[in-house]
This record gives sequence, structure tokens and C-alpha cells, in this order.
Amino acid sequence: MEHMDHTEHLEHTETPADMKSKIWRTFWILLGLTIVDIALYFALLSTHSMLKNALFILLGVVKAWYIVGIFMHMKFERKVLMYMIVLPMIFVVFFIALMLIEGDYTFLLRW
Amino acid sequence: MANTTNLSTDKKTSWGGGKSPFSVSYGKLMMWIFLLSDAFTFSSLLIAYGFIRYSFPSPMENTIVKPLSHVAEHFTEAMNKAGLFVQDHWPAPELVFNHFPFIHGIHLPLFFVSLMTFILIFSSVTMVLAVEAGHRMQKKEVANYMLLTIIGGAAFLGCQAWEWTTFIGEGAKLYGNPFGPRSFAALFFIVTGFHGFHVFSGVVLNIIIYINVLNGTYEKRGHYEMVEKVGLYWHFVDLVWVFVFTFFYLI
Repeated sequence: MEHMDHTEHLEHTETPADMKSKIWRTFWILLGLTIVDIALYFALLSTHSMLKNALFILLGVVKAWYIVGIFMHMKFERKVLMYMIVLPMIFVVFFIALMLIEGDYTFLLRW
Repeated sequence: MANTTNLSTDKKTSWGGGKSPFSVSYGKLMMWIFLLSDAFTFSSLLIAYGFIRYSFPSPMENTIVKPLSHVAEHFTEAMNKAGLFVQDHWPAPELVFNHFPFIHGIHLPLFFVSLMTFILIFSSVTMVLAVEAGHRMQKKEVANYMLLTIIGGAAFLGCQAWEWTTFIGEGAKLYGNPFGPRSFAALFFIVTGFHGFHVFSGVVLNIIIYINVLNGTYEKRGHYEMVEKVGLYWHFVDLVWVFVFTFFYLI
């Protein structure tokens, strides 16, 4: 019972009153971005460049921001919680970019 | 006197003790930390994919197969003959994943996987609506949205089962495939399999929570925080799919 009491006197981070409309707005944004993704894939079918990959990863990060920010409520939590989760992931994105470039060098060695 | 003043000001800061500095409950904080570690696991798989993908030459230029065009019965063999699927070139995803249930003989590149993406995004929306209804203590509404989320998750798993069946039916194995380099199918099975396992666990968790909601467990407890915690996990599964989709089908 003790831990339940603890939950009680947490000062709850505010959920906006118009949460429902925010959720649906986010849904349409995610849907739109996915359609943009697919459209870009076919528009840029014959181009192969790291810039194109960067564009797709950037679109993925934008979608991730909406999912984490609105759906997972991160936008309305304490900033310290946000940094705890988001900062390590920034390094992961950096790691992804590094290994894509590294893969290109492996390609040059092989072919 | 000075000491007591210091102590009382310390109490006022987030880290002075006596309350959660993150202003979330223990369970939610642990869920966030678990999700961060899970994100690292998925990242390692996707980084491995990106690295292996770019250590192979890019897909062959496709000028023959246009979207929505009619294709022959043995599409993979035709692509092999046309030189679009060769062993040392990474295959173009739109030529591999061009099937749709009940539709035969039409080239529908990435249509099915887009549908899967929409299903998962939609189930994420119903989940967050369940959380929102939980804040208002609307038991019936929470239960309905949870049920929709479970259906969405099950539909996604069904789609994935169909996609795997089609893929295996065309000759893809862990150790080889008719589309391109060996690691192509191996990575596909491992990454989508690992994600699918997460979706499966999520559906099981959702079912448990759904039963608890129906039994009024959270109504008695006075809050629907458990729905929020499982919701966090469910959104994470959706989030990972965004990146699996980006890496596997677009890059």
C-alpha cells in the first residue's frame, strides 16, 4: 500500500485539455509523413546517395519525435526525463551515420 | 539556523529527496529506462543492417517493372533472368516486397508493408486514446480502445505471418535467397522477427491489461496508470517499426 500512496502525492505533469484533438492531429501527421516517405522512395528510385539516406532517416526522426512527444507524453513530462532518454539516442543516430559511411569504405575495399 | 535554511531550500529542489525528481512514478520511470535499453538493442540490429547493406553494391537499375503493371507468374525467376536479382548486388526492396494478399499478377511495390505501417500507427492511436480515457476514469471507453489496440496488434502479426510465408515461399532462407546477397534474407528474418516478437509480447500484455480493466482492477485502484505503462511499451513497438520500415524498405 505504501508505494501507492507515493504515487498519490506526485505532482502530476499536466496533460493538455485538448489532448484528444492533439492525438488525432498527430495521427494525420504520421500518416502524411509515411505517404511522403513512400512518394520520395519512388521519386528518388534511381538516385543512390548518402543525402537520400539522410533524408529518410531525418523523416524517421521527425515521426519518432511525434510518437515520443505526443503519444508517449514526453512533451509534457519534466525536461530532465526527456534529456535522460533523448540524449543517449542522439549518440545512437550519430553511430548509425558513422556505420553507414564505414559500410561504404568496406564496399570500396571489396569491389 | 543557516543549516536549517539550507536544508529547507534543498527540499524545495527536485533532487532534495522526498519526491520523484522526474515527477513520474517508479514504474513509469523503469519502463522508460527499459525502453531506452531496448532501443539500444534494436539500434545495434539496424546499424548492422546499414553497415552490411552499404558494404554491397546498390540495387541494379530497374527500368522494366513499373508500379501497377502486370507481371508474370514466376516473378523472382524473371528478375533473375533480367539481371535485376544478382548475388553480389543488394536487391531493390520494391521488387522483392511487391505482393498483396488475394491480388495476383500485379506489381504492387511496398503496398502491403505500407498497409502494415498504417495498421500499427492506428493501433498506437487507439492505445493513446485508451490512456486518455483512463485519465477521465471511463472504464468502458478504456476497455473498448484496448480491444481495438489488441485487434490492431493481432492484424499486424497476421500481416507479418503472411509476409514471412510469401518470402519463404519464394525461396528465402536464413542461409540464402534468390534475391541477392545471403545476408539480405538473414537480416530480414532477424530484424522483423525480433520486432514481431516485441509486437507479440505487446499484444499479450495488452490482453492482460484488458482483462484487468474489465475486472475493474484499476477502477478499484483509483488510477489507470498501468494502461499508461503498457501504452509506453506499445508506442515503442510502433516507433521501432518506423525505423525498421525506413531501413529495410526505403534505404
